[in-house]
Amino acid sequence: MLPLFAGIVNSCLPGKRNKVSGWIATAAILASCVLSVIIFAKTWNVRETHVQQLWFTIGDTKLYAGILLNNLSALMLLLVSVIALPVHIYSTAYMKNDENYDRYFIYLSFFCFSMLALVVVDSMVLLYVFWELVGFSSYLLIGFWFTREKAVQANKKAFLMNRIGDVGLLTAIIILFAQYHTFDIAQLFGEGGLAGQPTITNGLWVAHGGGLPAIWQYIACGGIFLGVAAKSAQFPLHTWLPDAMEGPTSISALIHAATMVAAGVFLLGRVYPMFTTAELDILAVIGCFTAFMAATIALTQNDLKRILAYSTISQLGFMVMAMGIGAYASSLFHLVTHAFFKCLLFLVAGIVIHQMEHIKKDNDLDIDPQNILYMGGLRKKMPFTFIAAVIAGLALIGLPLTSGYLSKDGILIQAVDWSDSKSLLFRLVPIGAIITTWLTAFYVARMIVKVFFGEFRLEQFHPHIKYHCSDGGWQYRATLILLALACLFPFFSLNPLLYEQGWIFGGFNSIQLARVNPYHTIIPAGVNILSVLLIYWAWAVYTGRKILVFPQTGLLFRLSYHEWFIDKVYNKVLVRAVLAFSKALSWFDHNIIDGFINLLPLITIALSKITAWIDHYIIDGISRVLAFIVQITGNFVRRFQGGKIQYYLFSMLAIVLALFILKILI
Amino acid sequence: MISLTDFLMVSAALFCIGLYMIVSKHNAIQILIGIELMLNAAILNLVAFGKYDKIANGGQVFALFAIVLAAATTAVALAIILNVYKKYKTIDPGRINNLKD
Repeated sequence: MLPLFAGIVNSCLPGKRNKVSGWIATAAILASCVLSVIIFAKTWNVRETHVQQLWFTIGDTKLYAGILLNNLSALMLLLVSVIALPVHIYSTAYMKNDENYDRYFIYLSFFCFSMLALVVVDSMVLLYVFWELVGFSSYLLIGFWFTREKAVQANKKAFLMNRIGDVGLLTAIIILFAQYHTFDIAQLFGEGGLAGQPTITNGLWVAHGGGLPAIWQYIACGGIFLGVAAKSAQFPLHTWLPDAMEGPTSISALIHAATMVAAGVFLLGRVYPMFTTAELDILAVIGCFTAFMAATIALTQNDLKRILAYSTISQLGFMVMAMGIGAYASSLFHLVTHAFFKCLLFLVAGIVIHQMEHIKKDNDLDIDPQNILYMGGLRKKMPFTFIAAVIAGLALIGLPLTSGYLSKDGILIQAVDWSDSKSLLFRLVPIGAIITTWLTAFYVARMIVKVFFGEFRLEQFHPHIKYHCSDGGWQYRATLILLALACLFPFFSLNPLLYEQGWIFGGFNSIQLARVNPYHTIIPAGVNILSVLLIYWAWAVYTGRKILVFPQTGLLFRLSYHEWFIDKVYNKVLVRAVLAFSKALSWFDHNIIDGFINLLPLITIALSKITAWIDHYIIDGISRVLAFIVQITGNFVRRFQGGKIQYYLFSMLAIVLALFILKILI
Repeated sequence: MISLTDFLMVSAALFCIGLYMIVSKHNAIQILIGIELMLNAAILNLVAFGKYDKIANGGQVFALFAIVLAAATTAVALAIILNVYKKYKTIDPGRINNLKD
């Protein structure tokens, strides 16, 4: 709850561009970090804590709000706060010159609050609430520099895609409630939980309270999968992540490397008992496909952050695939290690981009500071950053002695084991995973070589620039050291080569595989040797020792460079259809509905005109006629007193005549 | 022969014409003429009924007296009109309305 408090405090210091807000947010995160370590120590493999309180009641249904702390939540809590802490420190330096410094930290604190709350809540309803809040804070942060058109489009795209996922998640929650009549995660998915091991007999999804047709189970799982795909950027909902790189780099580090995208995998972890084997298979296939696709795209991208974004998609594909093949513990293990080294890579990218922006501003150039074609040779100028980048890169590739090795090879080995028990077609999954690992090696090496080795290529384009690059202040260095240490193996397991001894494994029950299987030694050895070879090859190619062996114009290149044209397809098919539909609706609204509403005043005006006419002519007319009559009568009678003697005579005559006539008549 | 009724009708006609002139003329002299006409109509009536008094001829005698008086009246009326003209500078009876309320 502390980050929420920090966020509120920050928003109460209005309009100031002060450093204090940064330190308040950092202090809050530090406190949360400490608290989560304490919680972790108490909960990990010791016992589960579950506190609840009655929130509200609708009819017969009681809704509880509470906190569930089991191994999964404690681990995620620790992970989020430990990653958020260096990012906060880094941000105080990175955003130093930005005008919206305080707004940044408000959003950042809000995001941390949402994420921390997401991992500890115990009810599906609250989970959904915080899921949405996380998506919303991500929207705010991606579009942080909202004066840039691209940033605004990117955050809209991210939010819309997340929304699609939210719909899926909501459907799944509702279906689960209809089936099991409870929202409580512990009841649904805990030990011997209600939703575990669903039984589908005769096409009916059986549960305690009765059965629903089996189709609902598939829809529920489909809904969960949609939520995961949107949040964790799986195919087909992955296109928002590369565009989300428009936000500040520290945000990309926190959200899109370590935490928010991990929320999807976390959800999978929570609802894992619900899936049937068939659904798990589908999950594995999609995860593998995503990983492969993203790795191929990352091979040709020229924007530093986009390479990292596709790398994230690829690694998330690994995690989802691991969930699918039943390697629950490996998947979460990979989640944790990935968080550290990806965050480190992003922070390094942030430093490099920052320096390029300085150069750009100092020399008034018109280059894209994120483009790696302009970088090179930064190894000598930013040695500290270079070392950190190399450590993170090796962890990403998964070489021994790093933490990435432990998790990734765990997944690979289990994948091969899993496919052994399936039909031949499923062999493709581990093969795909292994190929993706090699592709990962290649593109990571390419990236590091292009950025850090060779000559500073910008000089070749613009020969007369002056520049200086440095590593940055203590905030950058301390952060990098912290994260780099976590990328190495001692943090996770005392044995650098055997993944089962990692302490995370002990926390989750998963498929325990006997060590006797020969795959356990062949696969890591083979994969890693080839990776090393690939790294060497990449280094050789990109430092110019050999000529460029890859054509830049072939079909595969184009396919990869344009991100498999997925964005374009979406644009043509979906976006245009939706825009056309919305145009039609707005035409309808404008002409018909507004027309109808405009008709009403016209009618009223016409009515009022008629009334005015009636009032003017008829009613006034009556009174005018009366007045006229009175006037005539008055004029007539006045004459008799007018003083004209002839009228006096006339009136005398008239009276005498009247008398005579009356006399004769009577 | 000319009957009595004809004389009476003529005299009535003259009387009405005289009355009309009095009532509707805007000139005092013309009102005077109207008065004269009415007088003459009355005198004609007197003479017409004098046929029945062959001994003392009362009708005709009365008529002579009436004519003389008519002349005297007319002289006085003219004198009045002259004085009125001196004061009001007009002889339109409609304009002389100081007696109105």
